[in-house]
Parts: sequence; structure tokens; C-alpha cells
Amino acid sequence: MLKIRNLKAKVEDKEILKGLSLEVKPGEVHAIMGPNGAGKSTLGYVLTGRDGYEVTDGDATLNGEDLLELEIEERARAGLFLAFQYPVEIPGVSNLEFMKAAVDAAREERGEDALSSADFLKAAKAACKQVNLPLDFLKRGVNEGFSGGEKKRNEIMQMLLLQPKLCILDESDSGLDIDALKVVAEGVNSQRDDQRSFIVVTHYQRLLDYIKPDFVHVLSDGKIVKSGDASLAHELEAEGYAWLETYDRQAEEETA
Amino acid sequence: MSAWLANAIEKSHSVNDWLTAKRQGALALLQEKNWPGRKTEDWKYTSVRALEKRAISSAANAGEVNVATIAGLEAIELHFIDGHFQGVKQSLPEGLSIVELSKADAEVQAWAVEAFSACKPKKHLFGLINDTLADNGLVIDVAEGADIKQPMRIVNEITQDIDVQHRVLVRLGEGAKATVIEQAGGTQESYFSGFAEYFLAEKAALEHYRFCLRTGKALSIGGSHFELKSNAQINSTLVGFGSELSRLDVDVMHRGEGAHAKINAVYLLDSGEIFDLHSCIEHEIGHCTTDETVRGIVGDKATATFNGRIHIHRDAQKTLAELSNKNLLLTDNAQINTKPELEIYADDVRCAHGATVAELDKSALYYLTSRGVSKSQALVMLNFGFINALVDEMPNSALAEWLRPQLQERFAKMNQEPAQA
Ligand SMILES: Nc1ncnc2c1ncn2[C@@H]1O[C@H](COP(=O)(O)OP(=O)(O)O)[C@@H](O)[C@H]1O
Ligand SMILES: [Mg+2]
Repeated sequence: MLKIRNLKAKVEDKEILKGLSLEVKPGEVHAIMGPNGAGKSTLGYVLTGRDGYEVTDGDATLNGEDLLELEIEERARAGLFLAFQYPVEIPGVSNLEFMKAAVDAAREERGEDALSSADFLKAAKAACKQVNLPLDFLKRGVNEGFSGGEKKRNEIMQMLLLQPKLCILDESDSGLDIDALKVVAEGVNSQRDDQRSFIVVTHYQRLLDYIKPDFVHVLSDGKIVKSGDASLAHELEAEGYAWLETYDRQAEEETA
Repeated sequence: MSAWLANAIEKSHSVNDWLTAKRQGALALLQEKNWPGRKTEDWKYTSVRALEKRAISSAANAGEVNVATIAGLEAIELHFIDGHFQGVKQSLPEGLSIVELSKADAEVQAWAVEAFSACKPKKHLFGLINDTLADNGLVIDVAEGADIKQPMRIVNEITQDIDVQHRVLVRLGEGAKATVIEQAGGTQESYFSGFAEYFLAEKAALEHYRFCLRTGKALSIGGSHFELKSNAQINSTLVGFGSELSRLDVDVMHRGEGAHAKINAVYLLDSGEIFDLHSCIEHEIGHCTTDETVRGIVGDKATATFNGRIHIHRDAQKTLAELSNKNLLLTDNAQINTKPELEIYADDVRCAHGATVAELDKSALYYLTSRGVSKSQALVMLNFGFINALVDEMPNSALAEWLRPQLQERFAKMNQEPAQA
């Protein structure tokens, strides 16, 4: 599904990703944890092609296709989806017309006919219900005036409608109460199958109680420094990231 | 003096009714006015040549036209066809009186003669002409405390090559609430002069819409003018398409403490259209607020002019006034002339005033495209969203649902290769 090899990227001349490698196979769920500023969001931005994030080395492929060569919208149409840590507010553009345009594009890419307005509305309402958002959120401006939790649920709603192949959830759990967290987790779990893959970026073990990861990685200073199974998340929760400093020293000593 | 103005003055001598004294006052002022030319500050960017070429004429009879109602609005429909009133078809709720200008009885005349021209500033040349010539219109009176739920929708349709001088007077009694829509559309070559004056007593609240949708050779010059007594409020939405000549003057007089004016204006101009909006907010007294947002999209070789004046008088302490004008130019030939005019004579006020060319929100573009929407489609959505955000703010959702597709259709026809793409 996704293969990232030795990815290096910089923002405004500052190197953020420093040789990151990761492979995600179909149907797998990978959790990425790590301290603030490690480069977790940057990874999502680089993979989706955000302006200002410059890849200086390495490569990333999605189902064999060179992701980094594609336009932003082509990456999405290839099946990549990023649930934003900070979803963008767009007054004047309704959630509904936004999602209709996005779903039309996704269907066209798959060679399917566009949905009729009525069928689309039905699907949108169902997705809205599934994430517990009132139906009038479809008519409102994209994320306009939504609370933090509503924004996160709106991201999941978009994911449900778009049916992507690889979903990156960037702190989709932060700022959520336990009920909202369950809604997000159930949304994700409803999409899990042996083909669809997830990268779940989170600070908290809590989310991983609901979305059981196959692998857990620690991202620190632009690289994945440790990988393990679900039990690693428990260790991290208990120990924090202070060990990273010693880890870094050890790594330096080893390479020295 | 231009031949057109001389002709207008000549015509005015034959108008004789209960407003004669007022009309003569306007006439006297008119004699001293200069015809707008390139050097006239108020008309610097908008030529009235298209009007000058016209002969002044009116229609003896109304033409045939169907005025479509608006789904879900359930308004009190007040239609003028070629300047001829089609009558009130609904029964009016208690506390509301609507009479034709020419049929005002002594009781109505008693207040309306005082109100006529009382809040429309004398500086408006075409307003003075309207004072002298307006032979059709309405006098609307909302009684103290009345809460009129049904919007009043005044529609002017013109089907012939004529001139229509239309006048509306609206009085809201203390604590009264009402909604008034002024709408004019069509493409028939003609001239429409529509001026309206609104008088809001203490604590009255008016929801107001003015849709200037006449295009092509359908020329328009008009105004909506508001006087607000203490704690009165207006929430006004102005929408303009352009034509060979389309000009709207909006004046708000804050004349009682605690008055509040919210004005949202949107214009969407194509081909060689002209739309010229002048707004003037007079803070004559303290503790009043104004919140004015003006957004326009100008395509092809169209010209938008916006002049936003805020005048805070010497004693108007604790005024809060905000005015922003943002424009999106779709081509290199599209033009916007925007001029903020702030005059502040009080020291304890908060006033913000800005005019800019709208900038593309890059993170919004990224967000939309990251969901698979093409860049070109995302730009169209964002550009339209720029004005649609104000449509979303319209308090009446039936009106918003009616207006939005018209704007969308117009926008879709416009040049869709934004300069900034
Ligand atoms: N646009 C930017 N300009 C400059 N520095 C940035 C920008 N975006 C992110 N960074 C920096 O990159 C580092 C990684 O950020 P980020 O990927 O958001 O971390 P995380 O999501 O792991 O908390 C941080 O040090 C942050 O300050
Ligand atoms: Mg982050």
C-alpha cells in the first residue's frame, strides 16, 4: 500500500523529516506516536503535497505509484486521505457542495458515474448521522464555527464519504471527550477491512484502546526511532518520551 | 444644465398633488445643482451619459409580465409593473398599513408629508429629481409594537422603454418589527429611479433587502435611506448586478443612542457592467454601532465603485464603527475604485475601515484539493464562497435560497480563469 523510504523534507529551509522509512500493507493499522514537534503532521503534509513542504531525499509510493510526483488532488484521487489536525474553516463554501465535488472526483477516478444529487444527499446524511453531527452541518460553511470536536468528526464524515484507501488521522482524538472519541473510533473501525489501511497519529493510548493498531511507531526528530506492537503504546503512555534523550545519545554513540 | 435635467424640471411642473410643497422645495435645490461630470466627486468613476441620451417618458398602461414569487417566502407581494401598482392581494396583518403614494388619505398625508425627503440627504441630485417626479410608490406604516412576520416584497418590473420614478416611505413605530424587500430586475432598456426612506422609532427593528438586479440597458439610480432613533436596528443586505449604469446610495442616520446598523453588500459584475455603491453612515449621536461588510467580484471589463463614508460627529462618543470592503478581480481589465472616507470628530470611538483586494486563502485551497477537488474547481468554489459567505448571513433563508442560484449562475457565466490562478 504505502512505502516510504528514507524521506527527508524541509520547511522554510529547516529540515523536519530526516530520513523516515515506513511500510504500511493493505488492511494494516499503524499508530505513530511521538513528542510535539517531532514531524508527525509534517509527514501528513508532505505525503499529501502541501505547498512549502519540500522533499529533499527519499521516496514514497502508494500502490506502486510515485506519490511525490502527483498533484495534491491526484494524490487524493489515488486514495490518500488526511484527517487534519487543524481542519480549515471556509465560510461561503458549504460542506455539502465541497463533499459533492470531492465525491464526484473520486467516483470519476474509479470510473463510476456521478451520484445524483438525491443519492449523494442520502449518503451525506447517513455519514453525518454516523459521526453524530446534526444534519444542518451539511449546509453550513466548511468547518465554519464548528467546535474542535465537531471539526474532527467532520473530517471522519469526509473519510466515510470518500472511501479512501489509505487514511492518515492526525490527532483526530485530541480535544475529544470520551463519547466523541468513540464516535471517531467507530467511524474508523467501520471502514477497516483487509484492503484499507490507516496511519493513526496520536498522543494517547486511549484512542488505541478503540482502534487496535497492528504496529506502533515512535517518531522523534524526523525519524522513526522505535517500532513495536500495540504494547509499545502502553509503555509510552507509562514512561513518556524522556527515554528518547538517552536513546539519541546511545544512537550517536553507536554511529560514532 | 443638461437637456435631460431641463426636461426633468419641465416635467415636474405638471406634477401636482399632496406633496407639491415638498416637490417645490426639491425643485428649488435642483436649479442650483450641477449635472454630474467627470469632475464631480460623487460621480468620478460613473458616467451618466447613458442616461443623458434618453428622452423622459412614462407608460400609460402596465405591460404584461409575470412576477415570480419566491418559494417559502410567503411575502406580502407588492408589484409595480412599468410604474403601475398591481394592488395588495393579501389581507394585511394588524398594525400594518400599506397605501399607494397617489392614494394617501389625509391621515397618511399628515405624517408622510413630513417624512418625505426627511432622511434622504439633499446632496443626491437624482434623489431630488425623484422628489419632484415620483408619481408611484408606497407609504408603509407599521404601528407601535407591531411585529409583522410576513416580509413585504416590493418588486419593480419594467417592460417598456420608459422611465419610472418610484418612491417608498416606511415608518416603524416604537418597538415595531418588519421586513422590507426592494427588488428590481430585468434587462429591458429603461430607466428606474427608486428611492426609499425608512424611519425607525425607538427600539424598532427592520430587516431590509435591496436587490439591484437590472442588467444591460436597464439603467438604475436609486437610494435607500434610514433614520434610526435610540436602540433601533437595521439589518440590511444589498445585492448588485451591474448594467450600463447602476448606482445605489445608502445613507444611515444614527439619531438616537444605542442604534445599530448591520449592512452586508455584495456585487457581482460581468462584461462591461458598472455598479456604483455609495454608503454614508452618519453617527450624529453617541453609543451607536455600525458593522458594514462589502464584498464584490468583478469580472471581464466591468467596473465596480465603492465609496464608504463614516462620519462620526463631535458628540458621538463611544461609537463603534467597522467597514470593510474586499474585492476579487477576475481579469486584468476588471476595475475597482474603492474609497474609504473616515471623518471622526469625536475622540472616544472605535472605528475600523479597510479596503483590499481579496487574497486567495492558500490553506483553504490546499484543504479542498487534498480531498480530490481539482485546483480550478476549488478556485471557483473559493471565489464564489467569498461572496456567498454574505448570502449565508442573510437572516431570511428563503431569500438566500432564491438568491444563491442566481448568483451561482451569473458567476458560472463569468470568466472563470481568475488572474491569481
Ligand atoms: N510552516 C512551518 N514553518 C516553519 N516551521 C515549521 C512549519 N511547520 C512545522 N514546522 C516545524 O516543524 C517541526 C515539526 O512540526 P509538526 O510536524 O507539526 O510536529 P508534530 O505534528 O509532530 O507535533 C516543528 O518544529 C515545527 O515548528
Ligand atoms: Mg501535529
